[in-house]
Amino acid sequence: MKSARLFQLTALILVVVSFFQVCYWVIAQRAYTLTKVGQIQTLYVQQLEASRALLAAGTAPERIHAIFPDVTVQNGQAALVPGLSESLGAEQQRRSTQYLWEGGFFLLALCLCIAVIWRALRAEAEILKEQDNFLALVSHQFKTPLASLQLSLETMALRELPPERSKALIDRMLSDLMRMETMVSQILDSVRLDRGRVEFKREPVPLAGIVTRVVGQFQERAQNDHIGIETAVPDGVQILADPLAVDVVVRNLLENALAAVVPLGGGKISLNARTVGTEVELTVRDSGIGFKPEDHTRLFEKFSRLQPVANSSYYGTGLGLFIVRRLMELVGGRVTARSEGLGRGSEFVLTWQQP
Amino acid sequence: MSEASYRVLVVEDDPHLSAGLAENLRAEGYAVESIGDGQAAVDWFTDKRCDLIVLDVMLPSLDGFAVCKTLRERGTTTPVLFLTARGDPADRIRGLESGGDDYLAKPFHLQEFLLRVRAILRRWDWYKASSASAATAVLKFGGNEVDFNAFRGRSYTGETQELTEKEAMILKVLAEKPGEIVSREDLLERVWGYDVFPSTRTVDNFILRLRKRFEHDPANPKHFLTVWGVGYRFVPDGRASA
Repeated sequence: MKSARLFQLTALILVVVSFFQVCYWVIAQRAYTLTKVGQIQTLYVQQLEASRALLAAGTAPERIHAIFPDVTVQNGQAALVPGLSESLGAEQQRRSTQYLWEGGFFLLALCLCIAVIWRALRAEAEILKEQDNFLALVSHQFKTPLASLQLSLETMALRELPPERSKALIDRMLSDLMRMETMVSQILDSVRLDRGRVEFKREPVPLAGIVTRVVGQFQERAQNDHIGIETAVPDGVQILADPLAVDVVVRNLLENALAAVVPLGGGKISLNARTVGTEVELTVRDSGIGFKPEDHTRLFEKFSRLQPVANSSYYGTGLGLFIVRRLMELVGGRVTARSEGLGRGSEFVLTWQQP
Repeated sequence: MSEASYRVLVVEDDPHLSAGLAENLRAEGYAVESIGDGQAAVDWFTDKRCDLIVLDVMLPSLDGFAVCKTLRERGTTTPVLFLTARGDPADRIRGLESGGDDYLAKPFHLQEFLLRVRAILRRWDWYKASSASAATAVLKFGGNEVDFNAFRGRSYTGETQELTEKEAMILKVLAEKPGEIVSREDLLERVWGYDVFPSTRTVDNFILRLRKRFEHDPANPKHFLTVWGVGYRFVPDGRASA
């Protein structure tokens, strides 16, 4: 990375130097032409003066023309050969135009080179900045559960705790570990998706089967948290997608919905599918904490964290919805989010093409 | 003052960490309140008070630095211990310059955290105790007057000077030993307590600020004298010359 950057910078310096060199060459050539023309014009004037002197001294016109071929004598008057000044002017114009065209062409080529190298350098700087930000965010995301783990362990080491307190701390530590594990897999997924390294199938997928399976895996957790999950996905509804990607998308949205409802002590989540023209929509609606309506696009950004509710036991990585959006984009679908405001639930709509 | 009489506000959005900190502080005998949002922390101070704020930096709605700055602007002098996942020196300085008293990078050791909490409260106890009587609450020198309890002064020009808690503490340490040399390390230890700053030069900056507030000619000070290579000497009557 460093050597490529060094090469680009060296090339940029060379091209910029060449640019100024070409500018100098055009200006110098024009100045040289003007000087030469000036010298020739002076020479003509001197020849005319000498011819007039010779004529006055009685030298024959033929002799004068032989000495100065650019001078003719007609009717006893010395004059420059007709058309000489015009041809000198035309030559000056031709050369100036030639230098301007040649110089202009080289300058344009060099400008293009500068623009290309500059863009490459800028793009690389952007990538580096993004990588730094990503690393900073990742390290921040990890340090919080790590700090919580360390605090729980040191509490156990420092204090004599009754068994129920120890059990609570162990549960907290296990939850922190699970959070870190989720983060690792989500970060890896997001990096892969970000770089487009994952290839997806586009095949007819029965939506009801996947939704039923994923919801089934969440049922026990939902019941413990007093959350009812209702599904209304008609059998036979098919979408054009990658079955694995659909599984991940529905799972992430359900995780998100559960996390939104848990802080309120319970509530409802519903999943409804319907066909709209050539598309299929799956709406995941929850009665949870919701979000500010203006945040509807921000929550799909990587590492976005919206305002949590007090006593929330949810620890988002800020990557779940980013993964949903990328996965939907990569299979040609889309996802939108809507909420009436904080505390008023939210609605996520996934849209796929029908086969 | 026993630990039981101290009230600590924990402002941390991570529920596990917040609960862990609160439990440990309670186990040490402190009364603890927990808040998970920056703006809520600022609002909390409209009708409540505490002796120490444990403040996370990355918070929803208002980050920790902004919370601390807002509280300071509103005249809240409660000491702040910053907790953050970002531990680079620039960030530490930013935290301390926004009005924080100490800075702890995550993950941290529980005992170090408790030690720092105790140290901050001890320093504030000393400050309050040494400003308790009428004689020690107000300092008069060279036409200037400083009220340590109100963190406010009046310079020789009659201009009101709102002091930061660190400026007041430095002045308090210097005023305790009029005419005597106080080293930079001593000032750091008494006012900040730990190696929270990368260098003792920070003390110099605070002295410069005090000179600007109270000296007739800050470039040629008569009260806050530099003892080259050692530290500072405070001369209330300004008789000595720099």
